Amino acid sequence: MRVLVVEDDKDLNRQLVAALGDAGYAVDSAFDGEEGYFLGDTEPYDIVILDIGLPKMDGISILEQWRRSDRKMPVIILTARDRWSDKVAGMDAGADDYVAKPFHMEELLARVRAQVRRASGHAKSEIECGPLRLDTKTARVTCNGQQVKLTSHEYRLLAYLMHHNGRVVSRTELVEHLYEQDFDRDSNTIEVFIGRLRKKIPADVIETVRGLGYRLSETPAEA
Amino acid sequence: MRFHSLAFRLFATAAAWTLLVLPIAGFIIYQLYRDDVQASFDGQLLKLVNAITVDSMGSAAGEAQPLPPSNLYEPLFEVTHSGWYWQITPLQPATGRKLVSPSLATWTLPSPEAKSVAPDASGARWLNTKGPKGEPLRIVEVIDSLGHEPGKPRYSIVVAGPQDWLDHLVANFRYRLTTALALAGLGLVAVTLFQVRFGLLPLRQIERGLAAIRSGTATTLDGDLPAEIEPLQSELNALIRSNQAIVDRARTQVGNLAHALKTPLAVITNEARADKTGLGDKVVEQAEIMKQSVTRYLDRARMAARVGVIGRVTPVAPVVESLARALQRIHQDKGIIINVDCAADARFSGEKQDLEEMLGNLLDNACKWARREVELTIETPTTTSRARNRRLAITVADDGPGLSEEQRSRIGKRGLRLDETKPGSGLGLSIVLELARSYGGTCELAQAPQGGLAVHLNLPAG
Repeated sequence: MRVLVVEDDKDLNRQLVAALGDAGYAVDSAFDGEEGYFLGDTEPYDIVILDIGLPKMDGISILEQWRRSDRKMPVIILTARDRWSDKVAGMDAGADDYVAKPFHMEELLARVRAQVRRASGHAKSEIECGPLRLDTKTARVTCNGQQVKLTSHEYRLLAYLMHHNGRVVSRTELVEHLYEQDFDRDSNTIEVFIGRLRKKIPADVIETVRGLGYRLSETPAEA
Repeated sequence: MRFHSLAFRLFATAAAWTLLVLPIAGFIIYQLYRDDVQASFDGQLLKLVNAITVDSMGSAAGEAQPLPPSNLYEPLFEVTHSGWYWQITPLQPATGRKLVSPSLATWTLPSPEAKSVAPDASGARWLNTKGPKGEPLRIVEVIDSLGHEPGKPRYSIVVAGPQDWLDHLVANFRYRLTTALALAGLGLVAVTLFQVRFGLLPLRQIERGLAAIRSGTATTLDGDLPAEIEPLQSELNALIRSNQAIVDRARTQVGNLAHALKTPLAVITNEARADKTGLGDKVVEQAEIMKQSVTRYLDRARMAARVGVIGRVTPVAPVVESLARALQRIHQDKGIIINVDCAADARFSGEKQDLEEMLGNLLDNACKWARREVELTIETPTTTSRARNRRLAITVADDGPGLSEEQRSRIGKRGLRLDETKPGSGLGLSIVLELARSYGGTCELAQAPQGGLAVHLNLPAG
């Protein structure tokens, strides 16, 4: 899951990046409106955390322009302006949620999880797929009730596949959604991580669709 | 017309002037007329006395006695006690012949000369006296010598005319003059009244314009006003604009301050949570207090900035629509349905932001506690037709667990939160209360028919 943080306060930006990174997201950050707009317009983020009062270009304009050019990723507005008129303006511009500063990091993370789940069509905070169970609150994966120990990259990969279970996810899509913008992208690393994952969970859960990508199968075993 | 009003001042000065000038003018006209009539009457008497003098004294050259006038001159000289008399009396020697008009009968006219009345430039002496019937008489006397020659016997020639005829004439004139002037005075007062009303009409226009601004149907003082009060109009409009600008600026500044304070607070709190030495907890606790204070005083500042702003009216329906949309999205995980029943013509007499703040907080609370549905009803009760007394009755009700009576009376007092498990600053309701009070409205908590909490908000309608 890739997250974009657009926040001009350097300390807060750093805290957000750290907290989201710890929670298993690939995080990009921007410190002003223009940079934030550009990243959101060109990269396929799964969610954006957007400040309103930004230098160069304000958050509301950024959001409106994204929505005009049909960028549909969930956006959580993070701002000190907590009057209802501000909230309504933000929601009307196309935001999906609104968090007022100062905020509890846990609350923000919960809202991020909720938006990501909803965007991929899951209603509950736990996603099940065959023997696998992903608790998005605790970022833990269990297989037949046994906890699976995963590195952060392995977790990202599996979590993305589980969010989009039942459909084929291409390698390019995986690369785009799992790594930060300036990560050295080599689609071979995906194959390496898939290989490692298959050793930790039943190997046939992740199905390789030749020439297209991977699919998480609800009912393995039959293949 | 009130005593302390422009109209009264204008009317009073104009009326006083009229009432002062008209009698003076009347008096002067009356005097002039009376003098004129008197002069003309005196002229007639003088003509008569001269004619009789010439006739009786001059034509009798060589005669030792004056002759009776050959001409009658005035028929009334023949009628007894007619008021018209003449009399020729010898002075030196006193034995001369005395002649009188038949009208005089046995009466004798007094001699002004004998009463030491000084002669005027023409040598005539004038006197007002009473006649045989006690009627006022005007007497003129000329003293001449027989044949107009000095040294000859001297006679006093007296002619009298009825002064009361003249007095009657003058009185008649005075009556008509007074009537005419009184009518003119009444007319002038009426015209003044109209002039004041008509002249001050633009002030009524301003009054109506200001009422329109206050009720919010206009934002500036419109209309084509006369040149004298046009500066007042433009100044008033400038004042309204600058007032508005000050409020907007204050809001912006307050918003900026909020932004400037809250971001560092967020940073400190997040940093402190990672600290395990105990100092972190203290910082988190204090930062929370700071956050509450910032929020509370920013709201106060916003409210203070609004006091004195006139003429803002907010249509309720659009506000409610966008709020309901935003809140359903915020609470979409719970799938809350907000049922809105809003009177189409409902208008709030106040700032849009304040209405949004009150409704937003109430709806947000309701959404947090509701199981499925939130009801929002906005009515405009037609209890009174007077514009300034119209009210909005707003009810926000949810189907959640609701509150006990004891909880309801406790809540909202200090913005305290009854349940710490639901997110929120806990200031929501107290802000609603304060805002409603600042608009002269009320906010009451009750039991909703569907089981949850019902909040009744009563606000001034626009």
